[in-house]
Amino acid sequence: MLAGNASAPVSKGLMLPRWLTSEHPLPWLFPSVAILLVFGLYPVLYSLWLTFFKRNPATRVEKFDPSWNWSKLVADERVWDAVQVTLTYTFTALILQLVLGMLIALLLDCDRKGFGVFRALMTLPLVVPPAVTGMMFLLMYDGSFGVISHTLYDLGIISKDAPLLANHSTALFSVILVDVWQWTPFMVLIMLAGLRALPRDPFEAAAIDGATDIQAFFKLTLPMMSKIIALAVLIRGVDLFRVFDYVKVMTDSGPGTATETLTAYAGTIYFKSANFPYASTIAIFTLLVVLIVANIFIKIFKVRF
Amino acid sequence: MSFKSHDQQNFIIKSANDFTNKRISKRTFLRNMGLAGVGLSAFATGMLGGARPFKGNMALAAGETPEDVANFLREAGKPFAGTTIRYTSESTPPTVVLDQLKTEFTELTGINVEIEIVPLEQVLAKATQDVQGQLGTYDIYYLDQAWTASFAQDTIDPRQYYKDKPDLAMPGFDFADFSDALVEGICLYEGKWIGLPFDIPIFTLMYRKDILEKHGLEIPKTYDEFTKSVELITAAEKENGIFGTGLQAKSGHYSLECDWTQAVWGHGGSIFGPDKKFSGNDAEAVEGLKWYMNLLKNSPANSVASTWDGQWQMGASGQIALCQSWAEFFPGWNADDSKVKGLWEMTTPLQGPASLRGRDSVGFGEIPNWGHQGGSSIALSKYSKNADAAWLFLQWACSKDIMTRCTLAGGFAPMRTSSYNDPRIVARKKLEGAGTTRHLDVVLDTINNHMASEPDVAIWAGVANNEIPTELGKLLTGQEYNGDPQACMDQIAKLVDLKVEEADLL
Repeated sequence: MLAGNASAPVSKGLMLPRWLTSEHPLPWLFPSVAILLVFGLYPVLYSLWLTFFKRNPATRVEKFDPSWNWSKLVADERVWDAVQVTLTYTFTALILQLVLGMLIALLLDCDRKGFGVFRALMTLPLVVPPAVTGMMFLLMYDGSFGVISHTLYDLGIISKDAPLLANHSTALFSVILVDVWQWTPFMVLIMLAGLRALPRDPFEAAAIDGATDIQAFFKLTLPMMSKIIALAVLIRGVDLFRVFDYVKVMTDSGPGTATETLTAYAGTIYFKSANFPYASTIAIFTLLVVLIVANIFIKIFKVRF
Repeated sequence: MSFKSHDQQNFIIKSANDFTNKRISKRTFLRNMGLAGVGLSAFATGMLGGARPFKGNMALAAGETPEDVANFLREAGKPFAGTTIRYTSESTPPTVVLDQLKTEFTELTGINVEIEIVPLEQVLAKATQDVQGQLGTYDIYYLDQAWTASFAQDTIDPRQYYKDKPDLAMPGFDFADFSDALVEGICLYEGKWIGLPFDIPIFTLMYRKDILEKHGLEIPKTYDEFTKSVELITAAEKENGIFGTGLQAKSGHYSLECDWTQAVWGHGGSIFGPDKKFSGNDAEAVEGLKWYMNLLKNSPANSVASTWDGQWQMGASGQIALCQSWAEFFPGWNADDSKVKGLWEMTTPLQGPASLRGRDSVGFGEIPNWGHQGGSSIALSKYSKNADAAWLFLQWACSKDIMTRCTLAGGFAPMRTSSYNDPRIVARKKLEGAGTTRHLDVVLDTINNHMASEPDVAIWAGVANNEIPTELGKLLTGQEYNGDPQACMDQIAKLVDLKVEEADLL
């Protein structure tokens, strides 16, 4: 710590290098950029490089053959099934989270006593790791003793002969619900922040003109919130598209391939078949889809960060 | 709540108390928590891909390393004191016991042993990465029998190492004490031992004697008799929550492939033909699959979501009456606090309506027989930087005394022929409850006379864990194939034949 008069010139002995005392951001950004390059860009480039090799599982020889994995991917029916499952998962979960998030945010957007506690409670699911959430729900869905399964049996909604996660018609939706449980609060927080930032004057004017709450919502709230909604959709959409934890923990892509998303399929090829080049191809393909769709979305909805 | 959950919760509470009272270290506590988690159905079925159930009592494995072996280890281990050797393994019963006993080895040699316990598929991925880059991250590989061909070139033949390193050769190690059947089925590839046989789960027939007696049923000996008994029991007992049998039919999981393979062999079929083409879609194999699909109708609904762990729970909680599956389930099903203690009995596996296919009528070294084995070996990595220290550990882990004590702790089958006649094991043959070994004679008979083994081919690990159980899962859960086993098997044949061709194995 420097002692003495703060306005006194710093003695020469304590002079720091100019770049360290500079206000220019570049020196300070450098470590972050380096970390990003090492842990972000390098793995992606390495994965991309791997996609150009054909691996022989018997000899483990990887032969340079740039089109092999990509041709295989195009012809692989499981990839296209996985695309379908991923899209279903993403859109269903996104719509549910968006609608629920907005509704809950509207409910919590007031300063009545006790609502602060509700707002704080809403964040709790977000701090649970997704794999743990998956395990928690796996227990609750268990066909023998799970509380959710038993409640649904008792209500006559499902049959005891068709456990939720082992039935191809219910498994995907059951996993989506877990995602909704965990990530709706994220939407709530974003929407709530947006609602709190809205100007009050237009709403007061609308009220004077006799607009109902529903009219005010559709004519004022939604248009004014459109940018923030687009941002939330973008962030969650990308996250949903690369879902892995819940599927891996709860169904391991099953039954059959009913819950097999693109990332889950890549995981299967990586872990079970140990075909690293093909697993990388599926992963890079997923990344490309996300990049293209996200960029189109950004252009159309003019999302600004 | 199942019995198993109850036991595990008690285990967690006991471990927490031990830790609070400083009876165990933080590390041991964390390890215990991990072990407890392994058995919870959510964790096991999901995160760990269905860990194999273990209901052991470590106190029963208490003992001391024989003096001559201890002296050898003290002397031979001196140059390696402080070395750490590593390997990664599935959470199998012998691994769990060995993980507890390894401190004895460290005390004698000063060599530390780190065992990473991860799901089976991750063991495969880690080992594959290690050999691909010849990294030597792991000194020892845990190798499922299905991976023997894949790793044959990456391991050191233990018999050769024993000869090459006389200073490190454990006295009385006795390679001949591993039965020929086990060696051939688990660790022999083109004349080379790729490792030491370590674990032998094998299919036998287990039955609830009280339920058979109640319905006046004989112990089934053939597949047809089994089907009749299962159907009768389901019809009579389903309302009481008891089914004829239970399966490990989780789609996409190796456990389903194991069930399917047993059904195929049992009906006179095979996985590959002599031309190295997939033969699981021929008449015998499809008959086996039809038989299996009928069993599913007579099993708890959760069978299609269960691996071996789920099937174990069905047996332990009294949900099923007959089960052809892993013999290592038996001790846990007869544990003292089991609701069905003393009610389960074991006999040799069922024999099929058709005769077995001969060894010359199948491909890739497959061994068709009545009892599917799912063994494993532990092998010395060719890329290890601590091969000598790791070799000492391997010899100790697979020595007669330690293998016998592993069996005493958990009741699962020993790899050593001499263990079956060890007085400590013989003394427990009449026990009904915890620590019983009354099933081991049947296990030994099955190993020696009825042991079946999957093909030894490098693509097998992938195919057995992915294509076969995934497509079977689609069939069994109605996602595809409209209930037509032939269509499902034709699709699998297409996928497997393509893999064989791509790997230039034809």
